[in-house]
Amino acid sequence: MNRAIQRTQILTGHLLSSSPSQSSPLSQKPCLNYSPPELTENYEFDLGEMRKLLDGHNLEDRDWLFGLMLQSPLFNPRERGGKVFVLPDYNQSMEQQREMTLKRIQYLAERGVFTGWLTSRGIESELRMLAFIDVLAIFDHSLFLKLVVHFLGWGSAIKFSGTKIHHDKWLRDTENYVIKGCFAMSELGHGSNVRGIETVTTYDPKREEFVISTPCESGQKYWIGGAANHATHTVVFSQLNINGSNQGVHAFIAQIRDAGNLCPNIRIADCGHKIGLNGVDNGRIWFDNVRIPRENLLNSVADVTPDGKYLSAIKDPDQRFAAFLAPLTSGRVTIASCAVYQSKIGLAIAIRYSLTRRAFSVTPNGPEVLLLDYPSHQRRLLPLLAKTYAMSFAANYLKMIYVKRTPESNKTIHVVSCAFKAVLTWHNTRTLQECREACGGQGLKTENRVGHLKAEYDVQSTLEGDNNVLMQQVSKALLAQYIAARKRNKPFQGLGLEHMNRPCPVIPSQLTSSVLRCSQLQTNAFCLRERDLLNRFAAEVSQHQTKGENKENAFLLSYQLAEDLGRAFSDRSIFQTFIEAEETVCDLPLKNVLGLLRSMYVLICMEEDVAFLRYGYLSTNNAAAVRKEVTKLCSELRPHALGLVSSLGIPDAFLSPIAFNWVDANSWSSVKN
Amino acid sequence: MGSLSLRLVSSRDQEEQEVVVEEKSSSFVRILTLNRPKQLNALSLQMICRLWDLFLAYEQDPNVKIVILKGKGRAFCAGGDVASVVRDINQGKWRSGAEFFRKEYMLNFVMATYRKPQVSILNGIVMGGGAGASIHGRFRVATENSVFAMPETALGLFPDVGASYYLSRLPGFFGEYVGLTGTRLDGAEMLACGLATHFVPSARLSMLEAALCKVNSTDPAIISAIIDEYSQQPNIKERSAYRRLDVIDRCFSRRTVEDILYSLEREVIDKEDEWISATIESLKKASPTSLKISLRSIREGRLQGVGQCLVREYRMVYHVLQGEVSKDFSEGCRAILIDKDKKPKWEPSNLELISDSMVDMYFSKVNDEEFEDLKLPARSNLPVSAIAKL
Repeated sequence: MNRAIQRTQILTGHLLSSSPSQSSPLSQKPCLNYSPPELTENYEFDLGEMRKLLDGHNLEDRDWLFGLMLQSPLFNPRERGGKVFVLPDYNQSMEQQREMTLKRIQYLAERGVFTGWLTSRGIESELRMLAFIDVLAIFDHSLFLKLVVHFLGWGSAIKFSGTKIHHDKWLRDTENYVIKGCFAMSELGHGSNVRGIETVTTYDPKREEFVISTPCESGQKYWIGGAANHATHTVVFSQLNINGSNQGVHAFIAQIRDAGNLCPNIRIADCGHKIGLNGVDNGRIWFDNVRIPRENLLNSVADVTPDGKYLSAIKDPDQRFAAFLAPLTSGRVTIASCAVYQSKIGLAIAIRYSLTRRAFSVTPNGPEVLLLDYPSHQRRLLPLLAKTYAMSFAANYLKMIYVKRTPESNKTIHVVSCAFKAVLTWHNTRTLQECREACGGQGLKTENRVGHLKAEYDVQSTLEGDNNVLMQQVSKALLAQYIAARKRNKPFQGLGLEHMNRPCPVIPSQLTSSVLRCSQLQTNAFCLRERDLLNRFAAEVSQHQTKGENKENAFLLSYQLAEDLGRAFSDRSIFQTFIEAEETVCDLPLKNVLGLLRSMYVLICMEEDVAFLRYGYLSTNNAAAVRKEVTKLCSELRPHALGLVSSLGIPDAFLSPIAFNWVDANSWSSVKN
Repeated sequence: MGSLSLRLVSSRDQEEQEVVVEEKSSSFVRILTLNRPKQLNALSLQMICRLWDLFLAYEQDPNVKIVILKGKGRAFCAGGDVASVVRDINQGKWRSGAEFFRKEYMLNFVMATYRKPQVSILNGIVMGGGAGASIHGRFRVATENSVFAMPETALGLFPDVGASYYLSRLPGFFGEYVGLTGTRLDGAEMLACGLATHFVPSARLSMLEAALCKVNSTDPAIISAIIDEYSQQPNIKERSAYRRLDVIDRCFSRRTVEDILYSLEREVIDKEDEWISATIESLKKASPTSLKISLRSIREGRLQGVGQCLVREYRMVYHVLQGEVSKDFSEGCRAILIDKDKKPKWEPSNLELISDSMVDMYFSKVNDEEFEDLKLPARSNLPVSAIAKL
């Protein structure tokens, strides 16, 4: 009843405010006014509580860092439409952008932002670091990446692959940004396949030194962030050759610059201008028999004695290799989380714009209609918003299992981080494209962010692992679980596959609206798909094998099912994180809107993935019911749109002028200023 | 807030005149004078209600183009009349205290989003609630007599009245400095940091007023040009805090109050600096709880619209009045306003005893059935400058 009265009041308010008022000095002008959505839209849930749920951790720290950037001229504050926005000047040359990124990092270091990033241990300090990384990426991807390379590439390699001698020597200076590190792993000829890299290191027992060399052009280190201009040191990934026998990939420390000059036997070239990320100085490195002390082998898993004997606690070269790749996991965690924040920026801008921009009237001489009041526009943006909410919970879950990692959970973290990194970054690429289009021509302006972010973040789908390769690893891991469970006739355990032990769920033949919104049905639909696809995938692989294909090849030939399965696993895992987040909420209005978002997330996944129809999890009638329900959910989410984008944890200054008073931001007086 | 008096208002008539309205014939200007000079024009609930009525009426009245707000005597306004609030708290009626703040913040919001230019003549003390009644307006005219301060942390409160909005938007981390230390700024400093829009020598104020009374426009550019004619560029005194922006930025940008204090102390390790020592002193005298919630309030406010700031501050002040975590507000008022021994006994007594979750309490939803969040008044047809503050 209260709600009805409230709604009537809102409608009355709409009608009254749209009639021209005599006292308004602007009403005589036949010109569009910008009407802030805050004055007409209302919030039915507590924005602060929702933000807490989405950001998940360290909100106060985040706000501090936002403020730190906002209050410094280094972050290029500009006033548009009466508000201040911070955004790098992307019209600067590549060299200038790199210098600015460096200056920003130095400023942040002086203010203590990086304190404890490497020298503290424990969940609390890691979570704070992850929160700060989210915030830095909200300002600029170059800033994020240059720091991720330095702290999570170089820094983590020393911290996790090195031992006390390395920690004592490098960590403090790295944290204070006195030493600037980079991470030389990928080569011109080898990216995702790290084991195939060609850089080779030998040991010289006479001088107790390692000798690193680039044997051929395809072995040059490539895309090394920080190498072109600023880095003083690098971690070098290289084959280790001891007395003619190859011990596999190991990590070494080499100094590449001293007082601004290149070190002897190091050649460096610039990777040049890129489609985005020009604030990062990516470079290429050639090592011409570079000599480094024996201690510069990061020796937590393997060591070479002074007289040249190879020692390793881990006998299995696969496991040894995996240990060296550990820093990549933290990179994937941050990339996944930051991808979600970029989707949030895009959606906040596009949805705010669609709440203030009108186009066409539906009645003769009637007022033009708000973009977001078009059902088609809702259908473009609101499902993406629901997915972004779901992925926000997924990213938080990933961060939590990462900071609470144990040797036992490493495998889960690896699989989940691969899946989420791929799915969340793909979602971001797609969302930014839709948001750019939803803003029309305004989306093209760099200052409006959405369009430009597409280029800035395009790299995320191949960075720290090509998404397609990562997803193959996911389906491979699932298959391994399947084979292990079947072979030993044991129940499934881990990766959320326990549902495989239960009876196969059944989808009712008639899906009504209330059934579709029920979390049990939603769980069943996702589990049914994953279960069936895993069975099919395992059967197909084994079929190929019986025809004489080897295991690898059988797997490659089954790539279509592998892709479907990877998606099914990811969607179901993300869904579970949503359910878990929802369960922590008691507040009724918040719970209601989360329920709508969750249903939207599931139903849009069901609508988009043809597997549901292809394999008959949904009848054609049921597929039609799903599609209809999506439209209905769009109209139910529409009244919450402003509240939902206002809870995303992106301060106004980090959005863009079209998200606010775009009329004034484009006025003649703003041209004159 | 920050009234220095406990005197009771005696009669209804006097209440009516606590805000004097001047309306010159054939003028589009209304001059409102805060008229409780003995109390340094501290805002009573009645004054707030009167201002509320007048401001809303003038906004609708096509015959009003400019609203001038000034104070009688040596103060513009020394704050909200918290004496009555403290009296209520001490009698267990803290909810009526909350009512005072609710009305005051609503007025602050109307001023911040006002459709017509408000010109505040700040010829004297401007503190706490007095700042809230002026800084949100379009024009703030400082003089050689201006004394600005947000002294709440010394009283066990926090800079409220929308201060988390305007302090956080001062250059660099000057807002943190002003809000945490409660330092006093003169007119020149107010102009330099943006709290004031103009500096007019007090001798020229009557001429300025007369000139404004001839204006028949709400155009801020026209009004600004008129005030410009009487303005001066004042000199910032040699020992002004505004000349120490580098230190302020370095230290007050730190993440926590403890870090801020630590960095200030480090600045004076090997060289003496009177100003820094005084700054440290004022932080050490303030309520530790107040410092922590004030810092967080300013930091959150930096990222929020003025309405959100006021809604949040209202929650905060309600928690302060409830006194669940700390009763420093009562204690501060006792020590500064009532007993005047100037020796408050803060509880918790130092920063280390205040956990993050205790600070969180002040920002959380209020657990009281009678509590309602601040409902901001509906606004429409806002000027560009007001839209930008939402």
